[in-house]
Amino acid sequence: MKFAKLAAVGATMALAVGACGSSTGAAPTAIKLAIELPLQGSEKAASGPIINGVRLALKQAGGAAGGYTITLPDSAIFDDALASSGAHDPQTGANNMTKIVSDETYMAVIGPLNSSVAKAQIPISNASGLTQCSPANTNPDLTKGAPAAALRTKPNNYVRVVTTDDIQGPAAALYILNNLKKSSVYIIDDTETFGKGVADAFEKAFTGAGGKVVKHDAAPKTTQDYVSIMTAAKALNPDSIYFGGVTATGGARILLAAAQVGLGDVPFVGPDGINDGSGSTKDSFLNLAGAKAAHSYSTLAGPGTFDGKTKFDADYKAEYGIDATGYAGQGFACAQIILDAIGRAGATKPATYAALKEAVRKATTDSTHTYKTIVGDVTFDANGDTSQLIVSIYSYDPAGASGKGDWKFDSQVDAAKK
Amino acid sequence: MTAHASPVSPSNSTTRALRATVMAVGAVVIYLIVLWRALLFAGEMTAGNSFAGGILAAFTRFDDVGNLFFGQALQQTVNALSIGAIYALIALGYTMVYGIIELINFAHGDIFMIGAFLSIVVTGGIFGQQDSVTNIPFLALLVICALLVSMVLVGLINVTIERLVYRPLRHAPRLAPLITAIGVSFILQNIALTIAGSGDRKAAQVFPLDWQISVGDAKISILNIFVFALALGLMLALQNFVGRSRMGRAMRATAQDQSAASLMGVDLNQTIALTFLLGGMLAGAAGVAWGLKFGYVKFDLGFNSGLKAFTAAVLGGIGNISGAVLGGFIIGFIENFASALGYSRWSEFLVFLILTLVLIFKPSGILGQLTGDRA
Repeated sequence: MKFAKLAAVGATMALAVGACGSSTGAAPTAIKLAIELPLQGSEKAASGPIINGVRLALKQAGGAAGGYTITLPDSAIFDDALASSGAHDPQTGANNMTKIVSDETYMAVIGPLNSSVAKAQIPISNASGLTQCSPANTNPDLTKGAPAAALRTKPNNYVRVVTTDDIQGPAAALYILNNLKKSSVYIIDDTETFGKGVADAFEKAFTGAGGKVVKHDAAPKTTQDYVSIMTAAKALNPDSIYFGGVTATGGARILLAAAQVGLGDVPFVGPDGINDGSGSTKDSFLNLAGAKAAHSYSTLAGPGTFDGKTKFDADYKAEYGIDATGYAGQGFACAQIILDAIGRAGATKPATYAALKEAVRKATTDSTHTYKTIVGDVTFDANGDTSQLIVSIYSYDPAGASGKGDWKFDSQVDAAKK
Repeated sequence: MTAHASPVSPSNSTTRALRATVMAVGAVVIYLIVLWRALLFAGEMTAGNSFAGGILAAFTRFDDVGNLFFGQALQQTVNALSIGAIYALIALGYTMVYGIIELINFAHGDIFMIGAFLSIVVTGGIFGQQDSVTNIPFLALLVICALLVSMVLVGLINVTIERLVYRPLRHAPRLAPLITAIGVSFILQNIALTIAGSGDRKAAQVFPLDWQISVGDAKISILNIFVFALALGLMLALQNFVGRSRMGRAMRATAQDQSAASLMGVDLNQTIALTFLLGGMLAGAAGVAWGLKFGYVKFDLGFNSGLKAFTAAVLGGIGNISGAVLGGFIIGFIENFASALGYSRWSEFLVFLILTLVLIFKPSGILGQLTGDRA
């Protein structure tokens, strides 16, 4: 927490400098959006569709809202992954956020991908009052209860369009029990914030619904020998396997090891961390797993199908030449929400960038406003959590992505409709 | 380099080899029994029985449950042998280089990583294989080609690194080559990062994973046996080469006393280059085994494996060839023990705990360093 405080102080100083600058400036006309995602390593596969989604939304809105010209230059896309580890890094994310809040022409930031990065960023963006919309963070502690309050010193500035892991994990548990008709599960998580969180939520729901958890194991991403671990798992004869984590922290390696010890035809289920593109996407779960993913399932913490998906998919394909995957729709929705908020904020004609920024923050987090987004109608509660409690389930489709294998939408469950 | 630098009579060495084999087989059998009992004990414990009941069960059960756990223990023992063999192969490179020029070659783990990448270039790239190859002659050809390419190229890369980087620093203060080795490690990692990218790269598992021998409940993977046999063969070949050949004798002489060896007509540069070549070749073979066994390769693979292998070398007594092999297997077995009992997150803790304990009570490692002045 020492670091967070330090970062907050840094951000406040940056804000003070920014405020000095704006006192001499004229009324804002051109403003910018920023994107903050991991752009190297395994997680690049998950970030690409989000960036495309945001760009598409901005283009369809004509790059304007509320009378302002809104741009997303390449320099506004920040990378929180480290080349040396090939994965996201919270400290890099915090440094990026400090850079973003020091430029007063940024009205909002879309990102990050990982909850651990968000944890490091929220104190900074919150102190400066910069609107932040995450298309992919699912850890409950970012918005709920005391852990969330500890991240914030000012009114909330953070919203997310996906639902949380305490919804995502249980959805997978119920899918295994009710749809796959498997009564026991072996759980393995990667010991990280996201992986352990979603695996714990999964476990609770699975036992709560009458299923049997044969073991909840944990292996950090530095683990070398997954084969021995899966040999031990095989002795417990699980009907299914649940992995809490992302591809970069062992997803595909565990599946390969499972296939080796004779657990290859047991359903392998994971969260959105392994739903990171098709078999032709470099570094994705399906790319590494190949045909061994035949019995794999994954979830996304948002709707997999929605009104207007056909048009969205067609527009996306026309623009980028590839299919919309992963959280592309959520990236699009985040951009729509921010553009909508800028439109409403612009109506009051704030005189300075700082005033506009605060108006955008207020408009975005307004819990009485309903956003008409591509993924459906969305309202945010006081914490910034979406009213959409939808989790979609994907199964493996060997024919997808020209025979390289892809995730195929299977079904979706709405926890709000119970 | 070997425990006995003086020439030994054949009959004497045969007895020694026999004794070592009996001890090794004994150790494996003891591990099997200990793991079997531990699994039974843990199984009874998690089933909710009392602590005393668990202990009792572990020593009295010979029924179906006992058989189930015995099968599990057998499989895990084979797993431990194969991962231990990979660690041992890498550890040999650390220990040989240390033995001869007293350099802890931190780049050695990355040399192993390069070997793993080269093997997937051969199987997946040149031969275009993606999955199991059941045609035995073709499989043999694939594995032999992968081994040849990977071992030879990695050996030569290692020699080149020695020639370009370490040789100019041979008489520099000891810290200089050490820091340079860390630098070389970063260079190799970044080369792999630039060429292959930062994610996992798929390695074609050409060795069919469903080839298994059934022993009761246990399914012993032939791949694991193959990896172990390959490593064992290479280790014996190395032992023979170092112990019997003329160049091996030059290596041992250089390890004992560089200036005396050079006075006796040993070409130091050639001998040291040879050491790097052999170390690199073993690491290349370990890389091939890694790709076959785990099905992926990553640019930072060398860091973790290198750390484990270095630990193995220190555990066994750095500079000591038998020590490196012993250390590699011990680490493989410790890791495996934790995983088998379902405490995989503690495996690294256990490995380094044992290392710490050994170093506290026997600072020169289990089998000891060869000469007292190297600490």
